[in-house]
Amino acid sequence: MAEAGKRVLVVDDAALVRLYYRGALESHGYEVEEALNGLEALEKISGAAFDLLVVDVNMPQMDGLTFVAKLRDLPLPVAATPVLITSTESGPQDFAAARAAGANFYITKPVTPEQLVALAAMLCGIAP
Amino acid sequence: MPLIRKSATPAAASPPDAAKVPDAANVLEALASGTEEERWEAARAAPGIPGAAKALADAAKRETSPGVREAMFTALTRIASPESVEQLVPLLRSDDAWLRTAALDSLRAMKSLVGPYVPNLLHDANSDVRLLACELAREQPGKESAALLCELLETEQEPNVCASAVEVLAEIGGPEALPVLARCEERFRGVSFLEFAIRITADRIRASSSPKPRA
Amino acid sequence: MSFSDAKRYYVERRIAERMVATAALSFASYFARLRMDLDGEVEHFVNAFTVNETYFYREDHQLRCLTTNLLAERVAAKGPSAAIRIWSVPCSTGEEPYSIAIWLLENWPLVDRHEIEIVASDIDTAVLEKAREGLFGKRALMRLPTEIVAKYFTPEGPDAWRILADLRDSVRFTQVNIVKPEETRPNGRFDVVFCRNVLIYFDDASRRIAAENLYENLEPGGFICLGHTESMSRISPLFEVRRFADAIVYRRPPGERHG
Repeated sequence: MAEAGKRVLVVDDAALVRLYYRGALESHGYEVEEALNGLEALEKISGAAFDLLVVDVNMPQMDGLTFVAKLRDLPLPVAATPVLITSTESGPQDFAAARAAGANFYITKPVTPEQLVALAAMLCGIAP
Repeated sequence: MPLIRKSATPAAASPPDAAKVPDAANVLEALASGTEEERWEAARAAPGIPGAAKALADAAKRETSPGVREAMFTALTRIASPESVEQLVPLLRSDDAWLRTAALDSLRAMKSLVGPYVPNLLHDANSDVRLLACELAREQPGKESAALLCELLETEQEPNVCASAVEVLAEIGGPEALPVLARCEERFRGVSFLEFAIRITADRIRASSSPKPRA
Repeated sequence: MSFSDAKRYYVERRIAERMVATAALSFASYFARLRMDLDGEVEHFVNAFTVNETYFYREDHQLRCLTTNLLAERVAAKGPSAAIRIWSVPCSTGEEPYSIAIWLLENWPLVDRHEIEIVASDIDTAVLEKAREGLFGKRALMRLPTEIVAKYFTPEGPDAWRILADLRDSVRFTQVNIVKPEETRPNGRFDVVFCRNVLIYFDDASRRIAAENLYENLEPGGFICLGHTESMSRISPLFEVRRFADAIVYRRPPGERHG
């Protein structure tokens, strides 16, 4: 399937959220790695390429928006990695903040597996 | 041998200069209006100075250098007083994710002082605050936190707050939480992540409270 | 391994640490990870039990990184004849700072072109005294090739080798509690700091304070190496991560105007 070999980094401080996303993505053929906060995400992306980053906002040490802004300042091609922000917030200012940080897409938690998988396919450029 | 003999001039390479450390009178002023270097030094010197907690929080909200901002929050953690807790708690309501993160990290590092605030925070009108308060409850010793989170789960309407509470109960919850989790699952039937989180948490609680096989 | 009941608590604590480090939700899932040796967990598990041991050339991949990458960057930043300052903290009984000295002499082609100052610090004056004496047993030397031992140590007994006076004189030993800025500051700024396997013993607040103190002791652009199971990602956002072939290290960002 087209998802095979696509690598997703799930960035969220909640273990259950990471487990949930992993389950949904792996069952559709994605390879999944995890990071607990923006700092750990920076460490992971320094060592490997990803096709998609799924990034929470509220995390210790470095929040998701700060992480995405730093990502966009890194050299290409890493800087251009697609980012899906998942957030508990749903106001227009939160959407705007995610956009300003450089996110490609934004979805409000809680997310369903179907939503996550559909968005992952779209952001990884997988045709329906 | 090229390695320096220790009798040579000690540590001359631009040490953090003791002469630059501001005195009490200058610390508050430097926090408010100093150069970046002065603000860093002032943040590092602030613990012990009266009025520092408020000055640090006010300055941190405006601070543009991430490093200096970090030093200001560390200073609030080092002060570790009810005053510093009082200055940090309102920042949990901030629209800025980095401010919320910084405040929560500082509060998390002051476990023993934060305890008395947790019950009220779990009842805060702002759902974001309730959500972050679950994290603070995680680190509190004893059984009260689990009980508070169960109480929250009985009435909480926001699925994300419930999710945060369930996440923490996976770690600190006991068998008393099981009926509460079941009722929560019923209320939020159809919310896929919550059903998942509750199921895993309940399994975990059951597994850790079942009698252990003899070694 | 077999343990008496008295050591059961110690074992449980180490396992609990590994479970937290691997975000395992249950002992069953951690045990599965251990059995599969996922992500080299067996080694992490063993290291968790032996983390108090110190010996020469421990975690030598970081020493390799020092001479392959870190010093080159520092020299490029400071100039061809600049002094290089390295800090080993905590230094315990001296294996780490002396290892750095020997490694540089053996592996850095530019070792003759730069003045190198090695400072070694610990909170415990008893271990500092032992470090100054420079007397080591077989166990401490076990990873050193025999020719290195022959070159830099003098045998003094059946299980005692003393490191050469020149090397003992090359390291400055100071007493430092890394949580106290008044004790860290006087040691000055360094190009490379080794702070391995001590932050894991601190609570969150102390860890953060120590990281901030060490930040001040770094030149902008200077590097700090933690123990290989440790990460700044759980400690402080002050540092940038740099990944090299031999090690992941952290760097104080160059060019800021504070600290």
